Amino acid sequence: MLALLGRRVVALAAVLLGLTVIVFLLQVVIPSDPARAMVGASASPEAVAAKAAQLGYDKPLPERFANFLGRAATGDLQDSLRTRNPVADDLRTFAPATLELALAASVLAALLGVGLALALAAGGRLARVLRLMLVAGASVPGFLVALVAILVFYSGLHLLPASGRVTDTLVLPDGPTQLLLVDSLLAGDPGVFFSALGHLVLPAFTLALVPALAIARTLATSLERVMREDYVRTARSKGLRERAILVRHGLRNAAGPALTMGGLQFGLLLAGIVVVEQIFSWPGLGLYLNQSIAFSDFPAITGTTLLLGTAYVVVNFCVDVAQAAADPRIRTV
Amino acid sequence: MTRWLSVALAVLGIALAGCGSTQKKGATGGDTLRIPYLADMSVPDPDVFYDVEGNAVILNQYEGLLKYAPDSTKIVGSLARSWSVSPDRLTYTFRLRPDVRFHGGAPLTAQAVKRAFERRLDVDQAPAYMLKPIKSMSTPDRLTFVVKLKSPVNPFEAYMASSWGPKIIGPDAIVTHKGKDFGQTWLRTHGDGTGPYKLTAFDRGRQYTLTRNDEYWGQKANFKRVLIKITPDIGTQRLELQNGDLDAVLHSFPASELASLPSNLKVQRADSFLRLLLYVNTNKPPFDDPAVRAGLRSAFDVDELVRQAYSTTATKSVGAYPEAILPDQPELPYAADPAKASAAAAKAKTKKITFAYTSDESGVQRRAGELLQTRLKPAGFEVTLKEVQLPQVYGYLKNLKSAPDLLLMTNTPDAAHPDTWARILFSSTGGLNFLGYSDNALDKDLDAALDAPPAKATALYQQVGRRLIDSNSLFFLGDVKDVFVLNNDLTGVQHVPAYPWTVAYAPLKRVSG
Repeated sequence: MLALLGRRVVALAAVLLGLTVIVFLLQVVIPSDPARAMVGASASPEAVAAKAAQLGYDKPLPERFANFLGRAATGDLQDSLRTRNPVADDLRTFAPATLELALAASVLAALLGVGLALALAAGGRLARVLRLMLVAGASVPGFLVALVAILVFYSGLHLLPASGRVTDTLVLPDGPTQLLLVDSLLAGDPGVFFSALGHLVLPAFTLALVPALAIARTLATSLERVMREDYVRTARSKGLRERAILVRHGLRNAAGPALTMGGLQFGLLLAGIVVVEQIFSWPGLGLYLNQSIAFSDFPAITGTTLLLGTAYVVVNFCVDVAQAAADPRIRTV
Repeated sequence: MTRWLSVALAVLGIALAGCGSTQKKGATGGDTLRIPYLADMSVPDPDVFYDVEGNAVILNQYEGLLKYAPDSTKIVGSLARSWSVSPDRLTYTFRLRPDVRFHGGAPLTAQAVKRAFERRLDVDQAPAYMLKPIKSMSTPDRLTFVVKLKSPVNPFEAYMASSWGPKIIGPDAIVTHKGKDFGQTWLRTHGDGTGPYKLTAFDRGRQYTLTRNDEYWGQKANFKRVLIKITPDIGTQRLELQNGDLDAVLHSFPASELASLPSNLKVQRADSFLRLLLYVNTNKPPFDDPAVRAGLRSAFDVDELVRQAYSTTATKSVGAYPEAILPDQPELPYAADPAKASAAAAKAKTKKITFAYTSDESGVQRRAGELLQTRLKPAGFEVTLKEVQLPQVYGYLKNLKSAPDLLLMTNTPDAAHPDTWARILFSSTGGLNFLGYSDNALDKDLDAALDAPPAKATALYQQVGRRLIDSNSLFFLGDVKDVFVLNNDLTGVQHVPAYPWTVAYAPLKRVSG
């Protein structure tokens, strides 16, 4: 396990360094003048030059890169050109909303994925219909799912809200986690809890749909293979009920590929967050990143990219650990 | 399996019913006004803020010494009850209203005004240019503020009335929370103005809350609270407005959908100074050749372009300046002549041109760009169209040879004065002169106009406009209107053409029936 941890830490460092290099190269490829954009069109050339010097844009790129790495190592990700706040502070403001959405979407994806896979493994007419739905569902882009969901559940049925994280007039609890579902429960505020839950449903479902389908397909295939194994036949011959065999033996042994797929899908889920947060006005990192891109706010873009990259590596590490727990053979690899 | 599925569906149904109980009917109504923003504003600090999205947060919270009267370019007193200008146009004396208090409770005094002006100069961001001509400031008594200029500045009163002009910030920010950055950190999430609304919450990315200032010296606001919600998707804004969860969408509503609004919504159009411009890169082939540029203007029918792209939300420009800010302007000589355009294009050193347009949520600039592309093709140009962001546009001056050949975007002057348009857009060093057109004679005229006697200044601005038109370095295509889509029960819209995308929130009210 220590070796696995060591490998993941090295991978994390490599991924973050790679992401930083890419974002810095983008600054070179895309010609822009963030200093002028920041001080405004009417600012004097002296004011623009002073701002460029203050931001370090007057220095050669390698020197800027080295300076950035040095500061980033101490947690200083520079100030956002748009919000003027330290990027680290902005990330602290926006990350909880994204974390809450990503957690909800991940849980939903796992539940839907496992549920669909079990239904497929059970066979019959339902399985055939579900298989058709999976193929169709996987081919629908996320933004279209979002739009249809808003049209149906918000505009048509008036059942769920279309934007935001909570009803705008509610006073939000200032809890320790900044996750509204958790903090509202801790504060004993059912109004905020149900409002937050309602606002979470559509964006979480939109994000969860494609990962859930991918997990379901992988798990179903894996289950089909596992359910033909000798030890399953032995279990049946001992008179164990089919559901017990499926859950206790089948699911555990078939989980490996589905967990790998889940880890990979988490990366896609993070990418989808940018679009989903934009459509649902979800005040998270995706929305922050989107607005920062429109302003060529490279400190903010770099900071957000690093945070999302870290999340991706950490989640995949967790997947490795979960796989090792599910299948002891992996621990020795 | 079926039993589990049934249980799951039942739980989901109960949860949805609980969560959605407030969604049965629109949230609007009562004493809260709900307005969406497409993006977060940069910062709610009047000495730093220099954008358009966010104007309303500044202007409903802070006041300057002067302002524009509704639907006009007439300058009237705001925090200044009256003002006078010395015959040599160097000394401005402002007499302040006696009954004004800042949101923090401190009274408005001449000393507070002086402190606010000094802060703008200390912060030294883009809006500071309006105070750079000041030589000295004095406060002969508690309610008199005197400014002496280094030399006459014709647009000085317009600066004072500008949307981005100096706003009087109270001592809470400038003294109590001054810190090491003149209160900039505090003012990123707080405010201390004198306006009809106070900033009571600034949740970046989510919403800003303005609360009625019950101590306001002027007409009290009708709505107790204004919630400005960050809703980045115009489609979502439209649905929420339609469903009654928003009261109004104040900009970027798709022009093509205005004709088919549902019966619970109404539209109001108001003149603004926002203009659709086509920049020409005169620093490289093919448009470094004046003859090719002259042919370019014959390639398109401006009237048709504006009508097709903007429908009823813009009109064809008639001069180099917005019509209301300069009288007797030279007319624009734009007329479609495909044969002339083809003949000029035939002489071009290269037919391949890059055409950039700035992105906008409503997509209208993309549509205008596509229409222009289709008009340039028959003339013989091979046009590559690309969308760019504003900071990229700022970067063009660094290397004009690699900048696009044509650039389509909208801009607005800082105030209703020709100098605030020409200096920033036409002069060689103008901040909005993105493709670096340069004309020394034009620059000289512009400099001469700044302190010239008013009649002579007007003639000089007209001459500058004529030179610019003749250069074909910048085409003035359309005057874009401010379009407000409102719930039927919302009335009292007050708008100033020089304050784009902005309405005064205080006079807005809801009427029943």
